[in-house]
Amino acid sequence: MSAGKGVLIIMFERLLIEPMDKFLQKIIEFLPNFFIAIVILIIGFAAGFVLRKLFHNIFRAVNIDKISERSGVVEMLRKGGIKEPASDLLSGLIGWVVVLIFAGISLSALQMPTFDKLLESFLLYIPNMFIAGLILLIGHLLGNFLSRAALIASVNAGIQISGLISRFVKFTVFALALTMALEQLGIGKETVVIAFAIIFGGIVLAFAVSFGLGGRDLAREYLEKKLKHEEETTDDIHHL
Amino acid sequence: MKNVILRDEIMEKIKEIKEADIIVGIPSYNNANTIGHVVRAVQAGFGKYFPDKKCVLINSDGGSSDGTTDVVHDTTVDDYGSILVHHRVSKVFKLATPYNGIPGKGSAFRTIFEIADSLNAQACAVVDSDLRSITPEWIELLIKPIIGGNFDYVAPLYHRHKYDGTITNSIVYPVTRALYGKRLRQPIGGDFGFSGRLARYYLTKDVWESDVARFGIDIWMTTTAIANDFKVCQSFLGAKIHDAKDPGADLSAMLYQVVSATLDLMETYPEVWKRVKGSEPLQSLGFQYAVGLEPVSVNIDRMIDKFRLGVKELIPLWSTFMPEEITDFLHRAQNFKKEEFRVTDEIWAEIIYTFALAAHKKVMNKEHLLKSLTPLYIGRTASFVMDAWESSADDVENKIEQLCKTFEDKKTMLIENWE
Repeated sequence: MSAGKGVLIIMFERLLIEPMDKFLQKIIEFLPNFFIAIVILIIGFAAGFVLRKLFHNIFRAVNIDKISERSGVVEMLRKGGIKEPASDLLSGLIGWVVVLIFAGISLSALQMPTFDKLLESFLLYIPNMFIAGLILLIGHLLGNFLSRAALIASVNAGIQISGLISRFVKFTVFALALTMALEQLGIGKETVVIAFAIIFGGIVLAFAVSFGLGGRDLAREYLEKKLKHEEETTDDIHHL
Repeated sequence: MKNVILRDEIMEKIKEIKEADIIVGIPSYNNANTIGHVVRAVQAGFGKYFPDKKCVLINSDGGSSDGTTDVVHDTTVDDYGSILVHHRVSKVFKLATPYNGIPGKGSAFRTIFEIADSLNAQACAVVDSDLRSITPEWIELLIKPIIGGNFDYVAPLYHRHKYDGTITNSIVYPVTRALYGKRLRQPIGGDFGFSGRLARYYLTKDVWESDVARFGIDIWMTTTAIANDFKVCQSFLGAKIHDAKDPGADLSAMLYQVVSATLDLMETYPEVWKRVKGSEPLQSLGFQYAVGLEPVSVNIDRMIDKFRLGVKELIPLWSTFMPEEITDFLHRAQNFKKEEFRVTDEIWAEIIYTFALAAHKKVMNKEHLLKSLTPLYIGRTASFVMDAWESSADDVENKIEQLCKTFEDKKTMLIENWE
C-alpha cells in the first residue's frame, strides 16, 4: 500500500511538480528579458514621439512644405486626396520607423529562439511590406485621379450616372491595387485570378460605356424620331 | 534658342529668293478642299495691293495625306485680268513645306517665322487654310498697317453671329482685356498680321516644345505682342466663314486648350498685368459694314440640364477652392426655372478668376480643373443666349462691353489673391 503511495507521489512530482518548477524557472529567467523588452518598446515609442516632433520642427524650419509644393510633390499627393503637409507626413514616417526599429530590438531582447526566428522572418518580410504599401499608395493616388477624370468626363458628356461611374472606377483601381499588394505579401495567391476577372470585367464595362457614349446621340436621335415623331433642336454654336 | 532645321529644298529656295518684302503663311493639315481658295485670295491680294513688292506665300503643312501641298503648288491665278486692272510686276514665290517639331499650329507658325527671318521679311501675315470668306482685301488689311502704318501686330475684327465665338466673348476677350488693358476684340482670331521684327522676337522665346506649339499659338502671339509693348491695331475683315473644324469636337477639350493657354500666359507676365488698370481702345482699321450671317440654333433646355448635372456632381470638387458665395449661388441656380435662369456678369467674372487662382495655386491637375469648368461655361452661355434673344448685334456687343467692365472691376480680387 505504502509502496503504491510512494509511486503515486513520485509520478505526481514527475508529471506535475517538475514541469511546473521548470516552467516557473523559465518564467523567472524570462521575466527580466520581458521587462527589458517592455522598457525598450516604451523607449522606442518615446524616441519615436520625440524624433517626430524634432523632425517636424526641423522640416518646418527649412520650409520643406514650400519646397515640396514648388517641386510638385504636394500637387501629386493632393491629386491622390492626401492633404497633409509634407512636414507632417515625413516626420510621422520617421517616428514610425523608429518605433519599428525599437520593436525589433525589443523582440530580440526576449532572447527566445522562436521570437528570433520570427524577427528574422519579419526582417526578411519588410521589403515585401514596403512594396505592398507602395502599391497601395499608388493604387490610392491613381484611383482618386482616374475617378475624378471619369467623373468630369462623364458629367461633360451629360451622363446622369456620372457619380456611379466615378465610384466604380475608384473601386476597380483600388481593388486591383489591393489584390496586387496581397499577392506581394503572399496572401491569397489565387486572388490574381480574381483580379484578372475584375480587370477583364472592368475593361468590358469600359468598352460598353465607351461604345454606349459614342452611339448615344445617334440612339437618342433615333428613338426621339421614332417615339416622339419630332426633331430636337441641336446646338450650332461655334464656341471659338 | 535653337532654330528649326528647314529642308534642303526650302533652303535652296530661300537662297534663290534671297530677300522678301511680304510673307503670308498658311498652316494646314488635310485642307485640300479649302486651301485652293485661300491660296488664290492671297495671290490676288499680292497682285492687287502689293504689285511692286517681293511677296512669298508659305504653306507650312502638318503631313497632310489628302494632297493639300499639291493643291498649293498647282493653284495659281491664271487670269489676273479678270480680277485686276493691272497685272502685278514681280513674281509671287510659293513655298510648301512640312514643318518640324511637335504636331500643332504653333510648330507650323514657327517654320513660317523662321522663313520670314531667313528672308528678312518686312511684313508677315498668317491666315487659316479652311477659310471660305477670305478675299484679297484681307491681305491688304493685315499687311498695310505694318508696311504703311508702323504697326507691329494686326489683329482681326470680324462680324460673327451673336451666339458664335462664346469662348472668346465670355472668357478670352474679357480676361485678356482686363489683364493687359487693351481692347483687342479677337485675341484668338487666327488670322494676324505682324512685322518681321515681331516674328524675330517670337523666335527668341523658348516655347516651341510646350503647349504653345500644340494649340496655344494664337493667344500666345497676341499676348506676347501686347505684353511686350509692340504697337498693336485691329483690322475689320468682314465675316469669318470657315469649315466647321469637327462637328463632334469635344467642347471640354477645346475649352481646356483655350483657357489653359490664356492662364499659362498669366504666369509669364504677372508683373505686367498686375500694374494694369482699366483698358484702352485700339486703333481699328478697315471699312465696317453689316454682314448677313447664317442663323444658329441653340437648345437651351439641354444646356441648362448639363449645367445642373455639373453642379450636382462637381460641387464637392469646386468647394475645395471656390468661395462660399459662389457655391451658394450655384446651389440656388440648380433650382432656377428656365425663365429665371441667369449666371450674372459678376458671378461669371468671379468664377473665371477663381479658376485662374486655382490653376495658379495648382490645387489639382490643370486638365481636370479646367475641364470641370465646362458645365459652368455651358450655363453661362445658356444665360447669355436667353439674355440676347431679342437683341441686335450692337446690343450684344454692348452686353459684352458690360461683361468686360465687370472683369476689369473685379481684377483686384485676382491681384490680391495671387501669391
